Amino acid sequence: MTQQQDRTAALVLEQASVAYGHVPVLEELHGTVRSGEAVALIGPNGAGKSTLIKAILGLVPTVRGRIEVLGVTPAQARRDVAYVPQADTLDPDFPVSVEQVVMMGRYRKIGWLRRPSAADRALAAEALERVGLSDRAKNRFGTLSGGQRQRVLLARAIAAQPRLLLLDEPFNGVDAVSQHALLEAIALLKQQGAAVVVSTHDLAIAHLACDEVCLLNRHQFGFGPTDEVLTPERLRATYGGHALELRGDRVIVTQT
Amino acid sequence: MSLFEPFQLPFMARALVELVILGVLAGTVGVLVLLRRLAFVSDTLTHTVFPGVVIGYLMAGQDGVFWGALAAGAVTAVLLTVLAHRRRVSEDAALAMVLTSLFAIGVVLVSQRTAFTSDLTQFLFGRILTVTQEQLVQTAVVTVLVAALLAVLRRPLMLRTFDPEGAAAAGIRVGLLDLVMNVAVALVVVAAVQAVGTILVIALLIVPAAAARALSDRLVFIVPLACLIGALGGWLGLAASYEASVYHGLRLASGGTVVLVLVVLYGVAALAGAVRRRVGLSRARLGTPELEMTR
Ligand SMILES: Nc1ncnc2c1ncn2[C@@H]1O[C@H](COP(=O)(O)OP(=O)(O)OP(=O)(O)O)[C@@H](O)[C@H]1O
Ligand SMILES: [Mg+2]
Repeated sequence: MTQQQDRTAALVLEQASVAYGHVPVLEELHGTVRSGEAVALIGPNGAGKSTLIKAILGLVPTVRGRIEVLGVTPAQARRDVAYVPQADTLDPDFPVSVEQVVMMGRYRKIGWLRRPSAADRALAAEALERVGLSDRAKNRFGTLSGGQRQRVLLARAIAAQPRLLLLDEPFNGVDAVSQHALLEAIALLKQQGAAVVVSTHDLAIAHLACDEVCLLNRHQFGFGPTDEVLTPERLRATYGGHALELRGDRVIVTQT
Repeated sequence: MSLFEPFQLPFMARALVELVILGVLAGTVGVLVLLRRLAFVSDTLTHTVFPGVVIGYLMAGQDGVFWGALAAGAVTAVLLTVLAHRRRVSEDAALAMVLTSLFAIGVVLVSQRTAFTSDLTQFLFGRILTVTQEQLVQTAVVTVLVAALLAVLRRPLMLRTFDPEGAAAAGIRVGLLDLVMNVAVALVVVAAVQAVGTILVIALLIVPAAAARALSDRLVFIVPLACLIGALGGWLGLAASYEASVYHGLRLASGGTVVLVLVVLYGVAALAGAVRRRVGLSRARLGTPELEMTR
């Protein structure tokens, strides 16, 4: 690998195998995501998409090979990596306002004791603006719709000014308005030079927003430019013993 | 009912101060217990701290109670943290068995003593009216320590409670934070053990926090409200039990009365909360209906 590529590679997988304890989940992953590019993780339930994202965060160990994030190990890179969880995994009763959630994205920079500065507040407000929810800043997080909550979580990640953004199925159960807002915000982040990893079941989104695709089902079934990798044959291989139809841009898996 | 007169008596004044401090301590920690859904941790602690109290008492008399409780509380906090990170503790039958056994050991040990019933009552339900100056100092020190700890850790605690995966992803040591949290709950139980006993402390932790949550959606209000309600319950409960015992010949146990007053306060708060929510809802509906639709 040349010096030049090294500098712009945000995420490098090198024959990486990932395991929970003794249970191997992902084996032999290989690929590179550069700054300003987005990669879609696509695969059936239980394929290991969430596990890969956790490995990139350094929360699940890489047992063989190497995962390099922004030129260092995943744990060392955390300061510049932001993670967007699925909104419906969070407690909707939690007494926290939308702007407080977004401010959480600044916690790493603010520290434990200091009050948020005017700059922190401006960044949080701007992040909320980017997902189109400025007018909901004072509302309680749980009173928003699922799609809006997902946008707030993206705003929190944007406020952290990440160089690598990880999103775990952000489009699940999200309506068209919210999906559009999410895609716009992600596109802007890419423009500003951030790399993006997003797991999704939606091939249309992979085509629309991602430069590369990683097909996963415990192994890698393809990693490369979207048009080359998203072929019916490869998808069929990834989704295993199930008959697979491609209608438009949807994967339809029919149980055999 | 006289709300001030009883507290001219020194022992009543001490009891009041103790309950007000405990109310503030348990109110603060209780909010975290409520948000983390950790009620089972306080439950577990009451079972394990009891034998600790008994052993401490048998070894060193009244002075041993605090240290026995502290040792048992600390061990429990560590074990619970480790277990929770291995698998689900809350629904584990084996754990329930261990807890009841520990509790039974406490009972068996107390039954060796001649003053069996009075000792047992003391350990289970506390003796608020015989609180000493030294106990007050102990409680105050624990309260200051725990409050300082929670103030320093408020951001990581909030993030971990709201979004555990996000917290881990942000580099927060979730395991360590959980240990701190469990130790804080243990310290509340330990501090409250002599005053209200191992059983009633659960109410002190859970009820004021739940009442405060019903009244507000904002953490900056919920924590002080919980403290206020906890302290208020202590005051009103003491006054009520004094009134009943002295003027009406009704012997109401102070600890139990405090808990019942807290529950009544919760009822009032829940009602007020329901009204507040309804008013808020109709206001929102009247306000900007078309905006709500398009978003
Ligand atoms: N904490 C864990 N310990 C052990 N095994 C786990 C753990 N979490 C997940 N697994 C296993 O790892 C495999 C991959 O799970 P993962 O959640 O990464 O899949 P996924 O592709 O995200 O699926 P989905 O589309 O359902 O979200 C599954 O077989 C799962 O059982
Ligand atoms: Mg997943």
